[in-house]
Amino acid sequence: MAAADILAPARPRANRAISWLVFALVIALIAATPFLPNYHVRVLNSLLIYVLLGIGLNIVIGYTGLLDLGFVAFYAVGAYSYGLLASPQLGLHMPFLLILLVGACLGAVTGILLGIPVLRLRGDYLAIVTLGFGEIIRIIINNLDWLTGGPQGIARLDKASILGIQIARPIDFFWLLLITVLVVGTVVWRLERSILGKGWAAIREDQDAARGIGINTTNAKLAAFATSATIGSIAGVIFAASQRFVSPESFTLQESVLIVLMIVVGGIGNIFGIVAGAAILILLPELLREFAEWRILFLGLLMITLIIARPAGIVPRSFGPEKLIRGLFGK
Amino acid sequence: MTLVFQSLRKVYGEVVAIDDVSTSFAPGMIHGVIGPNGAGKSTLINMTAGSYTVSSGSIALDGKRLDKLKKYQIANSGIARTYQNIRLFDQMTAIENLEVCFYPAEVAAAWREVIWPPYASAQRRRRREKCMEILRFFDLQSYADVDAGGLPYGRQRMLEIARALVTNPRVLLLDEPAAGLNHHETAELTAKLTALRSPERIMIVVEHDMDLVMTLCDSIVVMHHGKLLFRGTPAEVQASTDVQLAYLGTANDIDDIRAAAQDRRAQLGIRARRRS
Ligand SMILES: Nc1ncnc2c1ncn2[C@@H]1O[C@H](COP(=O)(O)OP(=O)(O)O)[C@@H](O)[C@H]1O
Ligand SMILES: [Mg+2]
Repeated sequence: MAAADILAPARPRANRAISWLVFALVIALIAATPFLPNYHVRVLNSLLIYVLLGIGLNIVIGYTGLLDLGFVAFYAVGAYSYGLLASPQLGLHMPFLLILLVGACLGAVTGILLGIPVLRLRGDYLAIVTLGFGEIIRIIINNLDWLTGGPQGIARLDKASILGIQIARPIDFFWLLLITVLVVGTVVWRLERSILGKGWAAIREDQDAARGIGINTTNAKLAAFATSATIGSIAGVIFAASQRFVSPESFTLQESVLIVLMIVVGGIGNIFGIVAGAAILILLPELLREFAEWRILFLGLLMITLIIARPAGIVPRSFGPEKLIRGLFGK
Repeated sequence: MTLVFQSLRKVYGEVVAIDDVSTSFAPGMIHGVIGPNGAGKSTLINMTAGSYTVSSGSIALDGKRLDKLKKYQIANSGIARTYQNIRLFDQMTAIENLEVCFYPAEVAAAWREVIWPPYASAQRRRRREKCMEILRFFDLQSYADVDAGGLPYGRQRMLEIARALVTNPRVLLLDEPAAGLNHHETAELTAKLTALRSPERIMIVVEHDMDLVMTLCDSIVVMHHGKLLFRGTPAEVQASTDVQLAYLGTANDIDDIRAAAQDRRAQLGIRARRRS
């Protein structure tokens, strides 16, 4: 291990400095957001949606050790929940919060339904089958014209409002997403530290030995799939409400791969890693927009460099929320 | 409470690994299982713990059939094990390796840990204290927060036994716990295992180290080619000509010869020790 690993402060003072620095930067960014032009706020919103997706997928990949390449399916379930329940498509105009609830439940159900057939699979096989599921869902949406509008998608989705407050401008969605990320992030972090989270880790490390200490791996994995899918679906509902348009194009394999990459680049299994990974993979392409075709090359080189320099991810596993809190508030 | 094997068989394709074994193990004793490599000792452990299915016959604890249960259910019936090749949760700390054993009993309340922080910290503290106690028993307390995969080999062996003890199992199955340990560590292991003897617990130790087996065990089962060859006290086993033949007699393949040589060395060691 590198002695000069400033991101993994061994000493409390270094930890304190880094914690406050991270905290101050994030607060400054949040405070500045209302004054940013809409375009920038939209980029931040997209960042937050990907953070949400990353937090969800990380439960399955990072905590439980199951390589799921079909995560985008749950994102689509959420997005189409909003698309169908709050648009002229079916003439339904349900309130946003109700759809969020419905979408979350549908996400959990699809998570379990897609989880059951892959319970016995691991590694490459699991990756390929889940990849297939992701594509199947997209193709179904594409072909179910009478319901989903097929490739044209569904337009003119309702404006969202929560308890009478309209959520329409990018900055409104920024606050909504920020709160969602904080709530979901906290829940997931607490879940990770709970006995269920320890069980997931044991399955990741050695599934058979996990059974040997009495863990019902079937239930534990289904819990992971369901939680993960619920979060993906929640992200989808908010995404659809903010775009006010859904089409199958948003839910390609590429999206799944991007989320996996975010997790791997950021630091697998670590919530802060996801934020870092999303920042790099979502913000950088935006910043490099002017360089058009060159940015893919540039991103490719960056990925290679990162994977060589920090194979375990940018943020070390040890620098999680616990360490941040300890750094900020003493002891 | 006894662990009973009845007409137990295990076949892998052509290979008959366990051939009609019927025997029983009583609590309060340490039972040794010995025999040359490939005799079927690990297979016996693996079937009891549910890692392998039973080809025919039955395994029952307290009259309750185990062989029809899933592996995790067997573990939750009070059967804990270690593996011939260490299987720890490498990227979890030593103490997490133990803490996770509370999963079956406590996972139903995991949601409370999520929504109610004081409950969560109380649970974490309680688990940690209990596990720390077990770590201390194995002199592993200073490794509590080190990743299990990074521990020295001998400590890993100890940690695996510690993990098996968290749920206070009624049956403890140890597959070659002394394999790869040095003299000092083996002596330490012998002392710990002796201290673990309890009137309520059935302990079964598969082992090649004859010194350890003869000092530790109250009763010894000798396996040979998947059959139960002999059963008796350490003294009876050492006196048995059948056993000596199994180890030293008709060796027709290289593995048998190697095993025989190894075990003969061990036996000679025992005789030498007895004389002194
Ligand atoms: N998973 C397996 N698949 C096929 N054959 C096996 C398997 N496990 C053990 N065997 C065979 O079963 C026999 C008994 O093996 P084992 O129980 O490991 O013996 P021991 O632990 O006494 O050395 C050996 O012939 C071995 O090759
Ligand atoms: Mg063996």
